[in-house]
Amino acid sequence: MSNTEKEPLFSAKNMKYLTGPFSANNPVIVQILGICSALAVTVQVKPALVMSLSVMVVTAFSNLVMSLLRKGIPSRIRIIVQLVVIAALVILVDQVLKAFVYDVSKQLSVYVGLIITNCIIMGRVEAFALGNKPWASFLDGIGNGLGYGVILVTVAFFRELFGSGSIFGYQIIPDSWYVANGGFYANNGLMLFPPMALILVGCIIWAHRSYNKDLQEK
Amino acid sequence: MNKESNVYIIIYSTVMVVIVAVLLAVAALSLKDRQDANILNEKKSAILASLGAADQNYDEFINAYAVNAEGEKIEGDVFVMLQDLKGSFEQGQYPVFEAQDGRVVLPITGTGLWGPIWGYIALESDMNTVAGIVLDHSGETPGLGAEIATPAHQAMYKGKQIFEGDEFVSVTLKKGGASEGNTHEVDAISGGTKTSDGVSAMLKNSLENYLPLLGAKKGAAAAEEVVAEVEETEESNVQNVEENE
Repeated sequence: MSNTEKEPLFSAKNMKYLTGPFSANNPVIVQILGICSALAVTVQVKPALVMSLSVMVVTAFSNLVMSLLRKGIPSRIRIIVQLVVIAALVILVDQVLKAFVYDVSKQLSVYVGLIITNCIIMGRVEAFALGNKPWASFLDGIGNGLGYGVILVTVAFFRELFGSGSIFGYQIIPDSWYVANGGFYANNGLMLFPPMALILVGCIIWAHRSYNKDLQEK
Repeated sequence: MNKESNVYIIIYSTVMVVIVAVLLAVAALSLKDRQDANILNEKKSAILASLGAADQNYDEFINAYAVNAEGEKIEGDVFVMLQDLKGSFEQGQYPVFEAQDGRVVLPITGTGLWGPIWGYIALESDMNTVAGIVLDHSGETPGLGAEIATPAHQAMYKGKQIFEGDEFVSVTLKKGGASEGNTHEVDAISGGTKTSDGVSAMLKNSLENYLPLLGAKKGAAAAEEVVAEVEETEESNVQNVEENE
């Protein structure tokens, strides 16, 4: 960047880093990254939400740290440096969750540790943070975390609603509707299985692409 | 200094690793007390929850001790034993949590589909009827095997019996639903057959370790009843005598 004039913190360009990954450049449904965890933690809304928050914290801070370090990193070992930074952050998040929200950390179990392998994080560090200023990188990390989270929570919403009849653990479908109580309704067992998450993600991609004409391949 | 030279790379990675190691060590040490307190609290509240006595104060309500394979009391910290319950069982150390009202809570441990499962089972003072149960797991499938940790599933155990007469039969999770009126069966979880089988095996294997203790306690309870009856008859004798006079 050649202009020496100080950019405002939330300039139009910076806001684009934040909001771009929300829809037009969504990491899950446009870049098709981080699908594995989108299948694993979306059976219920609450773990999906905490997972999204954890991923957002890690993307934001790994982007920030890598952007601060970007001028000193030897390019031959940059991937290893990225891994060390990301792994350290994930371990910190895991430790903090265990100390302060023990019940949620138990629910997420191994998936917190698996954030290390989430392709979005390394993808953003490699593609963005190594070539941009710290603040822009931080916003980009938050934006991508949000873009990831919005898909996770949407998928989890449908899976919990139709698979368990509840949202956030609160029963939504009235008890009297169920076949067991003489009603006509039964939960869809397929919703609880990972393949259904893939189908739901597919449906979201379909809807998203028919709405955004510029994403369609000619 | 040349950024791509070997010396720079070695120095860079050494410094980085040391900084990260110090950072993580500090974080782990400073959060350890809170984490340990969380884990201990969780165990205590799970023990109270299995008794349906979540409002009680653990330290006042529960008397914790350990027994050996013969059911005799032994020395040792029960919470240290709980950290590796399977190992403690193998070493012949069996923690017991006795409530003031005569009920006992026994820790249980086993294997589900993906990893360990564990819990606490509370028995009424007859050492036969299940007063309540708490089950937990580390990585069973949410919505399927993980349903063992829900109150709806755990409520089914209440009132079930682990003895048929004097024979130990445990409680089994029955695929297709427990047959009506059977006091030794509860419904298995649809889609969670392996986890359900794991819970059945866990109940059987873990409770088996406590049979000598349960037998002794059962004997004591029965003896107490006899004493109570004797007292009653004596009282009524006295009454009769008085009436006669």
